[in-house]
Order: sequence, then structure tokens, then C-alpha cells
Amino acid sequence: MKVTIDGRITEVPKGTTILQAAKLLDIKIPTLCYHPLIKPFAACRVCVVETKTRWGDELVPSCQTACRDGMVVNTSNEHVLKARRFILEMMLARWPNVPILRKYAEEAGLKTPRFTSALKDERPDACILCGLCVRACDEVVGASAISFADRGIQRHVSTPFNLESEECIACGACAMVCPTSHIKFEVEDYKGKTPEFLLGPNTAIYVPTLQSVPRVPVIDAESCIHFKTEGCQKCVEACEPHAINHEMKDEEIELEVGQVLIATGFDAFDPTPMAQYGYGRLDNIYTGLDVERMLNATGPTGGKILLKNGQAPRAVGILHCIGSRDENHHRYCSRVCCMFALKFSHLIKERTQGEVYNFYIDMRAFGKGYEEFYSRVLHEGANVIRGKVAEVVQAGWSKRDEGTLLIRCEDTLIGRFREIPVDMVVLCNAIEPRRDAEQVGRLFGLSRSPDGFFLERHPKLDPVATTTDGLFVAGCAQGPKDIPDSVAQASAAAARMLATIAKGAVEIDPVRAEIDELYCSGCRICNALCPYKAIDYIEDKNVSRVNMPLCKGCGTCVAACPAGAITGSGFTDKQVYAELEGVLSV
Amino acid sequence: MAYRMHLMVCAGTGCVSNRSLDFRDALQKEIEKRGLDNEIQVVTTGCNGFCGVGPLMVVQPDGIFYQQLSPKDVPYLVEEHFLKGRPVKKLMYVPPETKAPVPKMMDIPFFSRQMLIALRNRGLIDPENIDEYIARDGYAALAKALTQMTPDEILTEVKISGLRGRGGAGFPTGTKWEAVKVAEGEPKYVICNGDEGDPGAFMDRSIVESDPHSVIEGMLIGARAIGARWGVVYIRNEYPLAVQRINIAIAQAREYGLLGDNILDTGFDFDISVSKGAGAFVCGEATALVAAVEGRLGEPRARPPRLAEKGLWGKPTCLNNVETWANVPPIINRGGKWFAEIGTEKSKGTKVFSLVGKIKSTGLVEVPMGITLREIIYDIGGGIPGGKKLKAVQTGGPSGGCIPTDMIDLPVDFETLTEAGSMMGSGGMVVMDEDTCMVDVARYFLSFTQDESCGKCTPCREGTKLMLDILTKITEGHGTMEDLESLEEVAKIVAETSLCGLGTSAPNPVLTTIRYFRDEYLKHIEAHKCPSHVCRQLNTYKIDPEICVQRGHGCGVCRRECPEKAIFGEKNQPHRIDISLCSKCGTCVDMCHFNAVTVE
Repeated sequence: MKVTIDGRITEVPKGTTILQAAKLLDIKIPTLCYHPLIKPFAACRVCVVETKTRWGDELVPSCQTACRDGMVVNTSNEHVLKARRFILEMMLARWPNVPILRKYAEEAGLKTPRFTSALKDERPDACILCGLCVRACDEVVGASAISFADRGIQRHVSTPFNLESEECIACGACAMVCPTSHIKFEVEDYKGKTPEFLLGPNTAIYVPTLQSVPRVPVIDAESCIHFKTEGCQKCVEACEPHAINHEMKDEEIELEVGQVLIATGFDAFDPTPMAQYGYGRLDNIYTGLDVERMLNATGPTGGKILLKNGQAPRAVGILHCIGSRDENHHRYCSRVCCMFALKFSHLIKERTQGEVYNFYIDMRAFGKGYEEFYSRVLHEGANVIRGKVAEVVQAGWSKRDEGTLLIRCEDTLIGRFREIPVDMVVLCNAIEPRRDAEQVGRLFGLSRSPDGFFLERHPKLDPVATTTDGLFVAGCAQGPKDIPDSVAQASAAAARMLATIAKGAVEIDPVRAEIDELYCSGCRICNALCPYKAIDYIEDKNVSRVNMPLCKGCGTCVAACPAGAITGSGFTDKQVYAELEGVLSV
Repeated sequence: MAYRMHLMVCAGTGCVSNRSLDFRDALQKEIEKRGLDNEIQVVTTGCNGFCGVGPLMVVQPDGIFYQQLSPKDVPYLVEEHFLKGRPVKKLMYVPPETKAPVPKMMDIPFFSRQMLIALRNRGLIDPENIDEYIARDGYAALAKALTQMTPDEILTEVKISGLRGRGGAGFPTGTKWEAVKVAEGEPKYVICNGDEGDPGAFMDRSIVESDPHSVIEGMLIGARAIGARWGVVYIRNEYPLAVQRINIAIAQAREYGLLGDNILDTGFDFDISVSKGAGAFVCGEATALVAAVEGRLGEPRARPPRLAEKGLWGKPTCLNNVETWANVPPIINRGGKWFAEIGTEKSKGTKVFSLVGKIKSTGLVEVPMGITLREIIYDIGGGIPGGKKLKAVQTGGPSGGCIPTDMIDLPVDFETLTEAGSMMGSGGMVVMDEDTCMVDVARYFLSFTQDESCGKCTPCREGTKLMLDILTKITEGHGTMEDLESLEEVAKIVAETSLCGLGTSAPNPVLTTIRYFRDEYLKHIEAHKCPSHVCRQLNTYKIDPEICVQRGHGCGVCRRECPEKAIFGEKNQPHRIDISLCSKCGTCVDMCHFNAVTVE
């Protein structure tokens, strides 16, 4: 279809509105109640343009009116401008200080409005009743938490009965579309305070990290509006390659494999129960991972070390061994904390120029180049105090002290009790086994050491294999370790697995158990007892059967079988007796 | 059993409010007491139309008209008329000019000049009895349409008739039906708009109350023509009697197989539900009405898409006014050509007007298009009471305009009224005499539209309020010439840029009063005077000392009642008003029994 806008001819597909067509021609038409992702409302009438019709020159809202073939449109002649001026004048009479109205009025050639409304609202962020928020909430979000109340001049946007709306899902769509920022979106943390930044994804769609593989955005189902109300899906409209699919679900894939490498990693120790350190209770107390995110150039603060009030800290205390080497929590050393604490000292010092205090029990800088790094940090002027911190408290009561934290500890080197004021505290929390380690262990028949990590076959001679053939373990799943150690262990495990694959066959010990299916009653006592998970129950035959490659011939099942149906191959009673007879006959 | 007499007691809302049902009960009792109940039947009818003189009754077959009846008239009336055969003169209508009672209804000018199509059954049938409707050729048009005509033939017939929408805009009904017929989408809907909101207009209510089946039949025929399956009657909740009667009528029609599946064995399925309006004037606007039926906020939306393309539940929908639907059965029965012979070139048929205001005979009148305002006001309405002069006629409700006296010879049809700056609207007709202030009239109608504006679009929301503020300023004597100028400008912009009919027509009362009565505005602004003494803030009150003493003996009622204590005087002494204290409330004028208080 051909349309002429301000004397310029253009070709547009059917259904294009005048506003869209004008945009293609780079002709600007002011709008207030229009948003490209929301259906046109045609209420503000600021976007009126003139079209030539049979009945003469008509003013129509360009946001809603579709182009007709051969249509002649004028967007800024005196007829249009006069109407636009009047409409803006009426709006300015009511909301004289709203910037967008003043801007449009100026563009339309209106200087000062002649009228003043009886309901004048002089706030610059007054609600101009464009209805974008109401429609975004209804059409896009599907929550319908807000709507117009009253009519005529009394019309206003409100929640039902002006009470906190139960339908509101706090998505912020209304605040986002509001042209005057009348609706404000305030994020409250768990204490009802407004944080300056969030240490988590800020949007429902985000790229997990810059290093993530594959580097594609993911949708957070917990904050995505679509999963709350089944509405929205604006990302689907916006995505040109049509790559978004909300229907995708987590799926279970069954793979048949010969070998498994357990590298399930670790959990970071939650320091909340250590109430003396104030985590989760006081502001500006972070764990190592929080600070790591803050230091990241793509993190929420863009790599800046900031307090909640947005200022840089003057002094930072770094507390080592939180949850590690602690009788009440984990007795083991988490191995990585000393070094990442030193890294923090270095980076925080570099980025904030503030004081850094390290509180340590023993400084364990045992890796390659680690000790040198420790010396460098000491040279840079980081303070290291040997002694476990007793508690972190809010300092003083005066206004000046507000927000300052006080670290109380014993400096064991000088034998004195010390109190050190800081702005921020970093807790170097321990590495601990994953909370589902027990289930994983049971699934694979893996033993765990007293600290809860998976047990390797031999700590020195075979640190990557487990007692079950074909099952390997690497990384922090086996015990706390740093990145180089994890990489080394994983490489070793991979090599072991590849060796088996290359061979194409497994060698098995000739000593193993055998079940005589004729005698087996299917009681399944042996299934549970087998330390190698080598006995399977065959349901349709109601018998148990030994998985030969896994059986180590330990004989536990042989001794336990109540029916005497299991024999150790090469160690049957008959053979043992024959052996004995042979020995005794000499 | 054949009765020798039928007593048609009006039970329209007007008469019911004047306790016509009490009268009916008393009448029934008396007739039974006298043993006449085998000879005389009392029928409760819908609105008769001559609401100004209710409660009223027509005695058939003679057509004798009784007015302003009350239960205490019953024994005498039964004795004299129904037993002795002597019609009771004192209960008859007496025209003010001749002072001679007029016994027969059809001799009363109010009725004799009317032509009834939409109101053809008014006062003749019991609206709650379908058999009476059928006896008056009811549903014959439906039978004809279903058995002898194709949907296209029905459409052609309606097109030939030239019927135009009676709701206000006057859109040709045939064209509208055709647009819905050809539109894609199933099922299609027909809607009857009974959200009559104009102050002073009550023809839709009257039709539904007196002849609900005519609306149902019209919708059935329309549905057949356009291929609709479902119908909705949207009716104001403030019309309880109408809601009750349409529900009864629908139930009866269903029982007779005239609604539901396989109507009259023709395989045509159609059914109607009733949707009650929640009270907003703007819901009478088609798109807002559809939104309200769907249960959404009753707000208009911009068109296109028209309802014919995307109406109720997004399906093609044909929405017509009550009166339009009621006109359909006679068109099918008697042919479109017959209908097209009535009226003017572009406006065919008849139109019902509710004649109210400063007029002797208040009520509903159905007249052919093209009749002049003079005929309606003087011949049918009996002129202005109290010997006052006519000043203007306001047509079309709050969205219409005021037509001055020198234009009352205009033939009334859609085009001429629009040219005069007013509109046909739903047919409200408010007659104003010389005591009416035109600025105040504009302010009154605007205060209505301002209050009823939904507030969706800027011009209507802000503009109507702005105009109302300016008009209020003028009526209070603070107006300036600039105000008048900006009033006119705002009115034009609001009319041009508003979203729906409410906004585009809201400035009509302002624009027409400025156009025809500019001098009145100027008097308010320049001389700070209201020529009709309506705008109290511009009045000066004075007590004529001679009348006060000679006739009233300084009674002092004004002094006691004055809320501002601005009146001073002693018994038997002339009273006077202290202008500096007077709040111009006018209480003294109302209280004085001797007309001693004058207004300037």
C-alpha cells in the first residue's frame, strides 16, 4: 500500500499504523499513551494527525489508525499543531511540571498554558493517566493488579480498593513503561531495606557469566513473568531469530555408559549460623563468593568494591577459616581460603586504597608461587593479624560511627585483645561437601570419609579411582582443593578412563562370586550387602545375578546367602575341601 | 369468554410511580364486588405515552380516556360508567384552551397527531402476555421472514425501507446488517442497546415495558438476516420494570418455541440473554457497551475495528437501539416500501420523542420524520404553559444542541438537526421558555457529560471539565471575553479530537448556545446580568417597600428565613435587603407570599 506522509510517499504492508509508517520515514510524532509492545489505546490524542477523507480533513490518532492505500497524511500542519497544542495545554493546565509534556508543548509551539486546572498537580512525576501501566499489567503481564478507578476528571490508577494488591507479582513492568516515573519500583531486601545493588541476576533473562559455555542467555523461571501469569512473552516477539521457547522443560536423559567421573563439586559454607560474625544480620558483611561477584567487571557493581550506601570502604577486614578448622563446624582446612583472601587483600587495596586487615590462624601458602604472592601482599601494606576473630559488631552509637563495624579479636602474636573498626567484612567461608553428597554416594555405592567428601581408593597410590571399578572422582567432590589441583586430578581421571576405552576390554579378577539361579530365592539380601554394587536383581526371573566386571570376589555375599546359592568361583566348598585334602594328604 | 369492555390501565414506570397499580387493584375489587368480572376485563398495559396526566386508563372498545385516577375515584367510576353507561366527565382530559372535556383518546390532539409504528402496541396489550402480542399480528413478521424470505431478501427489504439507527447517529440499519453479514467470524451476535442514559429520554424504557416482544421479534429477524446465533439485550439496571418484562417475554418466547433451537421448524437457532447495565452513561456507546457485556471496564475504544468486524468476544456484532429493533417487524410485515413512504428523503419512518420541559402535555410522542418542531410543540404538546414564550428546544439529550424559536419550522430529521448544530440523538426534546437561561442550560448539560465522561481520552476528560469551569465562571459573573473565546476554541477541539461519541458531541450544547444566544453570554460577561434571572450570583434582590407594607404588612418571613441575616425590618414596616451581606441564594423570593421581592 502506498501512503503519503508529509508529502513523502512510502510503501507499507497492510495493517501498518500511520505512526509505524511515519517512523519508517523518520518523521517524529509525539506520543504519550503508546508503547510498541502494548496494544494502541488512542487515549492521549497527542499523536493526532490529519488525513484527507470524503468528509474533509479529519484528525485521527496515528497510533491506532491503520494506513489505507493512497492515504494522504499530514503530521505537522497548523490544523494538527493547533489540536496538539490545545491537548497539551489542557494537560499542562493540570500537570504543569511534567517534563515530557513541557517538551512536547514546546515542540508544538506552546509557550505558557492559559488555563489552570482545579486539580492542578505540580509534581514533575505526576500521573498523566496514559494508562500504559494498567495495560502493561493486564495485557503483557497478565496480572491485572492495577486498573483505573473512578471516572472522568476523578479517574486515577489504583489497586483494588487502594490496598496492597495481592495480584501484583512485583515484576516492575508498570514502573518501566511509566513515562513520568510516577510509579517507582523499590526493591526491598529481606529486612525491608532498599539495597543499592543486588548480588544476583537483576533481570529474568541474563547470561549467567561471561565465561559460561555456551554463552547464551537463560531465563530465570522464578522471576520470569510468563511463568507466573502465563502472559508477557514479549521476549519472544522481540527475538528476531525466534530462539526463545518457554515450553522447554528440564528433561531426564538416560545414557548408557561404561565409566563415570564424579566431579560434583562443593557447597560454600553458609556463615549465617555463626551469629558472632553478623552475616545476614549486619550490612556490608559478605562471603568470599559475594566479593568475587563484586570484583567481577561484569558483576553488579562493575568491579567496584562498594558499601551498601554506594561509597568505597575505608577499611576492610578479611576473616579466614570461617567454618574451617573449627571444632564446631568442619575440622579440616579448606585449603583455598588463605590464597583467595590474599587475592582479595591485593585487589581491594588496589581498587579502594583503603586499609585491609587479614585475621588468620596459620597462613598456608603452599603452592607454586603462593608464598611469593604472600610476601608481595605484605609489602603492599596489608595488615595480617594472627588470631581468630571473636565477633563483629556495629560500632559505637554516634552518628559519625553509623554503619561502621568493629572487629574484636585476640592478636596472639602480641598477646593483646584488639578492636579494629572497618567498613566491610569479608568472611572466607569453608568448602563443604554438597548437600546431596549422601544421595549421590548411595546411588553409586561410594564411601565417604568422615568429613563427608567421597573416598578415593587409596590416598597416595590411587587418588582418582574409587573402590568401584569404572567410577572415578575428581575436584572438590573428593576433598577441598584449588583450581590447579582440581585440573590435575580431573586430567588424571580422564586419562584413566581413556586407557580403558582404548583397550576396548576390561580385565577382571578371576576371583568372583557366582549365583546358582536354581537355588536363589530372590530374597535380595546380597544386593544390599555388596560393597561394589555388583549384584542386580532380575525382576522377571525373581533371582539375583552378579555383574561380573564389577565383582571383586570379596565373598561377603557368599557368606550371607541364606540359601547357599552363592559360591566364590574357584572357592567353592568342594574346591576348598579338595584343596584341604590335598594339603593334608602330603 | 368474550368481554364487553376492556379497561386498559397504564402500568408504565410513570404511572406506577403515581400508584396506578393501587388503582388497578381497587378497580378489580370493585368490579368483582359488582359482579361485573364476567363482562369487564382489567388489563395492565405498558406505557401509554401521555405520562404527564397519569395514572391513566383507556376504556375499550369505545376508546374513552380517563386521567389522573386514584383509588377513591373507583366506586363512582364503576357505578356511573360501567353499570349505567355514563362516561365520567370529571375524569376526562380537559384541554386548557377549550375547557371542554374530551371523552375519546383519539380526539385528544396529543394522540390524534401521532403515527405509531415502534409504539404500535402501546396501551393496547398486556406486555406480560405473549398471546396478546400475537393477537396484534405479533411474530407474523418472523414467520414471514423465516418461511417466505431468504436472509438476503430480509436485508433488501430493510435496505429499501431506509431505516436508520434510532440510537442517535442515524447509521443506515441495512448497511450495518450487511457489514456484519459479510464479516468473517462465527458465531455472530446481535445486541439490543437499552442503555438509555439521556436525562429526560425514556422511549426505550417505554417500548421494553409496553411491548417487549416487538424488540425480541426485531432481533430474531435481524439475526436471521445476518446469520447470528446469539443475542444480548443490554438494559439499564435502573429500569427494574423493563428488566422484569423483557425477562418474562424471553421466557414466554422460549416456551412458545420462538427462541431456542429450530425456531418454527425452520432449522433456525437463536437465543437471547439479558445483560444488566451497571450505571455508567458511557456504556451506551457501542464499544463501551460491548466491553461492559464482556465484563470488562465499560470504556469505549477507538474505531476501527468496527463492531461489525470485532464486536462481542471479538466476533462480528450487530448493535442496534431498542427503537430500531422495534421498527423491524412492521417493515417486514408491510414491506420496506410502505415504510419508505413515510418521512423525508433521507430520514424514513417515524421517530419517538420524549417531550419534556416547559410544555403542557408531557409524554412520549411518535411522529413521522419531517414534522416541524412547531407541530410537535404546539399541536401535539399543546404549547407552553403559563402563556410564556418559547425560547429554544433542546434536542438529542446532553449531546444535542439548542434550537432557537426562529428555527422551529425546521422539518425534524437527522440531517436538518445536525445542520442546526444539534442532533436527533435518542429523541429527547426539552422545551424551554423565556425563563430559561441558555448559559445555565449549557452549564447544566455539560455538568452531566463532564460527570459521565469515562476519562479515557484527554480532550473529553480535561476539556469538559475546563469548559464547565469557564461556564461556571460566566454564570457567576466572573467571565471575560477571553473566556468566551477560549470556551469556543476548547469546545471545537474537544469535538474534533475526542475518542468516542460522548466527547465529540459533549460540546454541542455549548456551541449551539454560543451560536444562537451569543447576546445572552455577552450580557452575563459584560453587564454581569442574567436576563432570565436564573444565575443567582448575577441577580440583585430588592424588596418593594409598598407591596411589603400594604399587602404583607411587613410579615418578616424573609427576615427570619434569610440564612445570611441580610434582611432588616420591623413588623408593619417595609423590609430591606443589605446587598453587602446578601449571598444571593434567593430564599427570600421563594418565601415571600406577596411577590414583594424583585429580582434584577
